[in-house]
Amino acid sequence: MSAASNIPLEGAEPLAAAGPRTGTTEPRSPRRSSWGKLLRDKSAMAALAVILVYVVVALLAMSHLIARHYQEALGTAYVPPSRQFLLGTDLLGRSVLQRVVHGTRIALAVGFVSTGIAIPIGVLFGLLSGFYRKRVDGFIVWFYTTVDSIPYILLVLALALVMGKGLVAVCIALGITSWVGACRVVRGEVIKQKELEYVQAARAMGAGGGRILFRHILPNVMHLVLIQASLVFVDAVKSEVILSYLGVGVQGEPSWGVMIDDARIELIGRGAWWQFVSATTAMFVLLLAFNVFNDALRDALDPKFKTK
Amino acid sequence: MIAYVTRRLLHAIPVLLGISILVFMLFHVVGGNPVYRMLGKNADAEEIARMTHQLGLDRPVWAQYLHYLASLAHGDFGRSWETKQRISTMLAEGFWPSLSLAVPSFMIASVLAVLISMLAVLYRYRKADRILVVLSVLGMSLSILAFIIGAQFLLAYRYDLFPISGYENGFRGLPYLALPMLIWVANQLGGDVRYYRSVLLEEINREYVVTARARGLSKGQAMYRHVLPNALIPIITRLVMGIPLLFTGSLLLENFFGIPGLGNMSVNALNASDFPVIEAMTLFGSALYIAANIIGDVLYAVFDPRVKLS
Amino acid sequence: MSQAPRNTRVSVPRGRSLWTREARASRETAVSSLLTALCAALADYAPVAVLGTTLLLCIGCTPSRKHLGNVFRAPLGSNLKTLDPAQASDQYSNQCQFQVYETLFEYKYLSRPYDIQPCLAARPPEISPDGKTYVIHMRPGVEFQDDVCFPGGKGRLVTARDFVYSIKRMCDVRVKTFGWWIFDGKVVGLDEFRKKSEALPPYPEQWHPALYDEDLPGLRALDDSTVQIMLIQPYPYFKDILAMPYAAIIPHEAVEYYGEEFLNHAVGTGPYKLTEWRHGLRLVFDRNPKYHHGFYPTEGAASDSAAGLLADAGKPLPFIDRIVFTIFEETQPMWLNFLRGNLDRSTIPKDNYGDAVLPSKSLRSEYESKGIELVQAKDLDVFYVCFNLEDPILGKHKMLRQAMSLAYDAKQVIELFANGRGITAQSPIPPGLFGYDSTFAGPYGHYDLEAAKALLSKAGFPGGQGLPEFEFLTMTGSDLRQQGEHFAQCMARIGIKIKVSIFTWPEYLDRLKRKQTQIMRAAWSADYPDPENFLQLLYGPNASPGENNANYRNPEYDSLYRVMAVIPDSPERLKVVRRMQELLAEDCPWIYSYHRINETLRYQWLKNHVPHAVLDAPIKYYRIDAEARRGYLGG
Repeated sequence: MSAASNIPLEGAEPLAAAGPRTGTTEPRSPRRSSWGKLLRDKSAMAALAVILVYVVVALLAMSHLIARHYQEALGTAYVPPSRQFLLGTDLLGRSVLQRVVHGTRIALAVGFVSTGIAIPIGVLFGLLSGFYRKRVDGFIVWFYTTVDSIPYILLVLALALVMGKGLVAVCIALGITSWVGACRVVRGEVIKQKELEYVQAARAMGAGGGRILFRHILPNVMHLVLIQASLVFVDAVKSEVILSYLGVGVQGEPSWGVMIDDARIELIGRGAWWQFVSATTAMFVLLLAFNVFNDALRDALDPKFKTK
Repeated sequence: MIAYVTRRLLHAIPVLLGISILVFMLFHVVGGNPVYRMLGKNADAEEIARMTHQLGLDRPVWAQYLHYLASLAHGDFGRSWETKQRISTMLAEGFWPSLSLAVPSFMIASVLAVLISMLAVLYRYRKADRILVVLSVLGMSLSILAFIIGAQFLLAYRYDLFPISGYENGFRGLPYLALPMLIWVANQLGGDVRYYRSVLLEEINREYVVTARARGLSKGQAMYRHVLPNALIPIITRLVMGIPLLFTGSLLLENFFGIPGLGNMSVNALNASDFPVIEAMTLFGSALYIAANIIGDVLYAVFDPRVKLS
Repeated sequence: MSQAPRNTRVSVPRGRSLWTREARASRETAVSSLLTALCAALADYAPVAVLGTTLLLCIGCTPSRKHLGNVFRAPLGSNLKTLDPAQASDQYSNQCQFQVYETLFEYKYLSRPYDIQPCLAARPPEISPDGKTYVIHMRPGVEFQDDVCFPGGKGRLVTARDFVYSIKRMCDVRVKTFGWWIFDGKVVGLDEFRKKSEALPPYPEQWHPALYDEDLPGLRALDDSTVQIMLIQPYPYFKDILAMPYAAIIPHEAVEYYGEEFLNHAVGTGPYKLTEWRHGLRLVFDRNPKYHHGFYPTEGAASDSAAGLLADAGKPLPFIDRIVFTIFEETQPMWLNFLRGNLDRSTIPKDNYGDAVLPSKSLRSEYESKGIELVQAKDLDVFYVCFNLEDPILGKHKMLRQAMSLAYDAKQVIELFANGRGITAQSPIPPGLFGYDSTFAGPYGHYDLEAAKALLSKAGFPGGQGLPEFEFLTMTGSDLRQQGEHFAQCMARIGIKIKVSIFTWPEYLDRLKRKQTQIMRAAWSADYPDPENFLQLLYGPNASPGENNANYRNPEYDSLYRVMAVIPDSPERLKVVRRMQELLAEDCPWIYSYHRINETLRYQWLKNHVPHAVLDAPIKYYRIDAEARRGYLGG
């Protein structure tokens, strides 16, 4: 449970801070070819397919088309995987398969909602801070430094407690604590972009600050935002597990975190490995897909990454 | 240099203030009324009101904040609601056990992770590298609980290689710390390798490395002459970022191995909604983080000739 | 990284490898060259290095089995809070303070049903015919242990005044004890004393205010060795109260000397004294050389002497020189340490039960051959599900509660969560107490789904229609959460929707006290072995924030309670208790779950070990057969 996970994986910030190391400062290259590159990347497409499968499963579970009986005792306690129960049953005789499927719904909900909260906040603050500098910048930098200086897990816990636990609270807590990375990266990039010709040109043509920011600069930092978003997503899924273990996670529903918590002692005491393995595997495959996709995304979209 | 450090220290003050406000507000809102717990069985309304007054919980929020700030300035975190112990004493007692587990584990894990990712980058995009990516993601998704439960049962109990749990001061504690350290390292490697691999990969693809290779430098030479030094900054960043985790990172480890450190303390406090302790831990962790940042910046200056300390 | 303004200060050379040209000079510093060389060297030998480090870590980490001596090693299930007997409200604090502090009376070790005997008192109390006046003579010649708080470091004689002081201090509002209720409204003048103590300046001023020296009509030292207590009503269980840890005798010198840190010190008259307390790790107690007044019981049942429990009859206590309590926050390390022989006694964690105990309730032979024994005993406790009767729906519809009680499968709870170690409860009173009747069964105290459904329709909610989702309150912990999920599963069978909410203990308590509850899981463990301790949980005037968290109010029950509380055990009392149980069975303020059967494991070398429902750790009676232990463990 490396809480280090909230650190931007690709280390964008130190590079941005160090200035020229962020690479070439040439005007934006055509984005279209980048997407083409991504589409041609087989492993990326495979990862995307896996993610889509998860999304579909989650949607089906959400609309109660599959895994409807995840709370009911369908068999006796601790039935090992068999033909009737592909992944066995848990203490209360509930189907582990149905619970894993239901957990997918929660994992994705936590991932998407918290990303959906964190990224807009981060991008907005980053844009404003990088573009206007001075007081706005001073305040925003102070604010995110403050938020960032509080150990992540403690901050999330405190927020989850304030908002009264449960899925919504977890999403919001994760969302409003993990915007800092995106904010920082966007800010750094905006500071650079601002000096570039196209911005100067737009300014010369009399475009207003808002227009420059959102019409001109924003599209040019979108690739960084995308990468950040997938990082936030992965972190959120992982954090949910820790929160559930500490008892402030999702309530009354089986998330992967709750399942791992349930399974931790029965693993050795009873040798009931199936719940643990199922939940961990479900999480592993999703994280792997995201990691592979994220790498490919970076290869394709980040101009300084002209490899392969 | 001194002027630079001083300035950085001054910069830290508004951040610390911000943290104290944020933390105070959070815990004040969350706090609820500790009085019920203090009085326990058969407390009547009058007793509750009196105690609320005694603790100053009926004063306006800003007055409570100022009072709080004043006591913080004296290094007084108050007493735990749960154990009634002085929190500054608890922090002092828990600091060393935590540190003696965290620092060596963190160092070993970091060095190992850099080494492994160097190998991965040398053999990048080959089968071995791809397997490593999968392994490190597996490491990231495996709950530390799996490591702990499995290792304690197998290595300590079944094969009797380590003591099952416990702690002693000084070097006598080493046998007790060995297994938690091993688990820490195993757990940290996954994420670290992922990170360092991408950092090194980024460097190795730069033109100057390509040029250097064209000039006839071997792979390994290019790695340690060019790539590693240039990747030092993001590596230091990661290391510095890790410092506040030195106690929150070991939350569960300390609990399972009976190490009387800060992580153990935090979990107990969480389970008991012992807000003063969590609050103190949060502040302490934040201060540590800020200190780490300053150290990090100084390190940049030492290792990166482009950063000037003026 | 944090401070972004650094950007502006960075000079920006354009270039390739920054380390090759301009910065050659700084690269050549010792640090960086050493680092690069080291990295290069290690890179070649990385796999070897990994293996080497691992091996090095392993070697020499195997614990050596050193000579143990006459030591008793026991687990402590959670971090200890305090050693101040006035504050010790949890099981673990009680276990520890019990080794050091003593009360006027104590529980007999072997006698069942539970009974008390003099400890710091010389003989049983002289009780006036109206049952209201107690005269107690102190045991002569008992001294406090030596401690720096006494002049010259020498412990002094214990007097009647020490008892009066200890009780007054406990009742001082500033001490914030959980135990005030044991004297609340019982002793003449004590309530007024408590009231007056509110006016005292807060600690740390005045550890010993003048108020303590004022004589109370109901609590007086007649002379150095005689205590007189006058009660407002004749409470038959009052002498049991005098055996509670809250009533332990402490020297005022220690309180004044240690001040706020008194909770970390222990100065008593008991068989042991505190040697080391490392928070979060362990406590060590050593024999108190000044302890001479304890002797092993000479009387016991025939089965006791057959079990060899009377072999030490009449010998001076304690037998063991040193006690080491190790704190375990998780059950796995405790369990593994016990199996390894690092602990002499352990409970069986729920998830290891199936591994240790066979379905025939005997121990697996693998463990038996290690010298482990299984000990069973009934605990004096009750686990239950509590309704808040002030909830508009749950309070108004008795039949709804009855239906839910019928739908609750207590037997399954015992199987799933207590490994079958429980007795289904039919009233609050656990077996072993006056008033418990194993044949008594309420009309709604069993599992009957059909009857539950019928009753639910009759209540006007066929199939759960028209009912909102109820909130079930429980506390953190995987086990408790699963129990909540099980409750929800049971109620779902008759169509009632339950949402399980998990809280930490203080949050849970907060909700309880504010009556912001609907249904909650609860448990009660005896403070003293009298049915009153359980029946008061439903007494109307005790409603939240008191202990009656069901907020149950039944005038007949309340008046019966007042009768029951003041008459001694007799057929008449039995009749009253029986009627109270019937009222509860009809009204269903609780759904009864079970009374726990406590199963402990111990090694054969632990002698004189008898489970006691009130005393958690009567270690002074235990004996270690060191020879046998060496035989098993080696070393």
